[in-house]
Amino acid sequence: MENYLSTEFARSGPLLLAEALNKGRYKTAQRVFELMTPEQVVDEVKNSGLRGRGGAWFPTGIKWSFMPKPPLKGPSYLVINADEGEPGTFKDRAIMEKDPHLLLEGILIGSFAIRAETAFLYIRGEYLTAHDALATAIAELEQAGFLGDAVFGTKHRLRIVLHRGAGAYICGEETALLNSLEGRRGEPRPKPPFPAVYGAFGRPTSVNNVETLANVPAIVEHGAAWFKSVGTAQAPGHLLFGISGAVERPGCYELPLGTTARELVEKHAGGVKGGKKMRAFIPGGASTGFLPPEKLDVAMDPESLKKEGTMLGTGGIIVIPEEISVVDAARVFSRFFRHETCGQCSPCREGSAWSDQVIARFQRGEGQREDFTLLEEIMRGSKQRTICVFPEAFAGPLGSAIKHFRGEFESAMTTQQAPHA
Amino acid sequence: MSGSGQAKAEGLPQALVQALPEALAAELRALPLRYPQRRGALLPILHRLQEWRGHLDPADMRLAGEIVGISAAEVFSVLSFYTMYRQRPVGRFPIGVCRNISCWVNGSDKLVETVKQELGIAPGEITADGLFSLQEVECLGSCGTAPCLEVESRYFENLTPDKVRALLARLRAGASDPAAAIRSAQNEA
Ligand SMILES: Cc1cc2nc3c(=O)[nH]c(=O)nc-3n(C[C@H](O)[C@H](O)[C@H](O)COP(=O)(O)O)c2cc1C
Ligand code: SF4
Ligand code: FES
Repeated sequence: MENYLSTEFARSGPLLLAEALNKGRYKTAQRVFELMTPEQVVDEVKNSGLRGRGGAWFPTGIKWSFMPKPPLKGPSYLVINADEGEPGTFKDRAIMEKDPHLLLEGILIGSFAIRAETAFLYIRGEYLTAHDALATAIAELEQAGFLGDAVFGTKHRLRIVLHRGAGAYICGEETALLNSLEGRRGEPRPKPPFPAVYGAFGRPTSVNNVETLANVPAIVEHGAAWFKSVGTAQAPGHLLFGISGAVERPGCYELPLGTTARELVEKHAGGVKGGKKMRAFIPGGASTGFLPPEKLDVAMDPESLKKEGTMLGTGGIIVIPEEISVVDAARVFSRFFRHETCGQCSPCREGSAWSDQVIARFQRGEGQREDFTLLEEIMRGSKQRTICVFPEAFAGPLGSAIKHFRGEFESAMTTQQAPHA
Repeated sequence: MSGSGQAKAEGLPQALVQALPEALAAELRALPLRYPQRRGALLPILHRLQEWRGHLDPADMRLAGEIVGISAAEVFSVLSFYTMYRQRPVGRFPIGVCRNISCWVNGSDKLVETVKQELGIAPGEITADGLFSLQEVECLGSCGTAPCLEVESRYFENLTPDKVRALLARLRAGASDPAAAIRSAQNEA
């Protein structure tokens, strides 16, 4: 299968509409609006097995099938999650800066599938260059009649509202994002009700990630069977793997799900920078935690990583070189999560601050034997009765660091308390 | 969309509106129309006001609140949640160096050190001439082009201490028009 997500990534600026049309873009969207029914689109996406690329890997077609069907009692909305903030993740940015029309064609088809006449594109505030590329691309579509009151000259209406966030990692969580879109503090909402019932502005809403939607035009164009011909049985298709940290050729690599971490790091990213040894790698963004280099042969798909006790997350691989200790790297994350908790639930607020203090203690070489039990208690305690799964995100690096690199923490204890021989 | 919300926007407090350029005031008044509920326009309004003033002060909070139909106190509660909104002035070129994992692995601490040496400011500080301020920020989604920093959400990537020194010099030279200076520094980078 040829690449279908990253064809424009080598460009210096965004692909504009005229050129996009020359490449056959929007033919699929036009066919959808002119000839298909929403059910047919949802079925094709359902059959393709496409799962959400925002990190939770929920099947997209099934999510769409939860949306209301006629007779509709009011508007439904599509909300695009472009809040990309998980450390080690930069794929959505690449799509939006280089190929905004790929995302926009996905938005057109997705909106049609869930019968939404308004799509809110929530983009993180710092992504100003991507924002500008999208604003231009949306204006091009309005001019061309691909948006507005008669999309492609049909009776369908659609408008896209581009909305900038303002700096808060937690707004990537879908219900926090909805609050933020509504002009509120970006605090996650208790679920249920789920967004498909009570979402943006109290209306049924589907929240989908940028890369998820970027997969949709190709799926509808080539069909579910085509899509399922690559990737794994449970997670078909390509993924944009971000590879960063200490590698020779960091970047975004489009490859089938299930490609091994070794192939990604060694073959595509050119191995550890400067020919050094690897101390650890992170498979899919900060919250997926650390794995030792012996695990490099793991297949990068949700099921295989689950077997290793972690997650695929966003597929953003981060390579930690030999000269950096996992204790120090874990501190970068504990400080990050402490900073980013929204603070609504005390186990999460206290737990993220407390665990950061404990890791800082180890970092100063003042760790104590009881600190291991303490960290485990914090992780257990903070997962209880919280509104969202943020505590699992901060427990990822913490738990895996202690599990796979306990020795490093033991040598970072006060000398009086060093492990007995 | 409630009729009373509409009336409120048209009856913006004159004193506040007069301080704004007419085009900006008109733009702010129109923003709520894009949302099913006026309040949806709050974040965009705050962004535009901050771009204009450089930070947000109580008058901006009152104005934003008037436009979307909530109190200034509620506006404050919202904006204080987000790191991009500033409640006090920063430098004309606010520099945000990413301190997260991929940048740190690639030497982001050296970038912070370089800024400190060149400008004599630590994170959280502003230079005496008001030109620069420094801040450490979390992952900017530039991990594949690390280390990086941002100035008013414009990115400078694959940095080295030398490139940071060159960037600071270019910005300083263009200080009379910060937005243009940032753009041209980006083009040269
Ligand atoms: C703390 C936290 C942060 C998240 N950040 C993002 C994000 O930046 N982008 C994203 O698409 N999904 C993010 N998610 C996942 C969203 O909640 C949601 O599952 C996703 O947007 C759904 O889209 P998808 O089904 O297409 O993946 C985050 C979840 C959590 C708990
Ligand atoms: S779990 Fe943490 S981040 Fe999630 S709502 Fe509660 S306090 Fe906020
Ligand atoms: S870690 Fe610096 S941009 Fe992601």
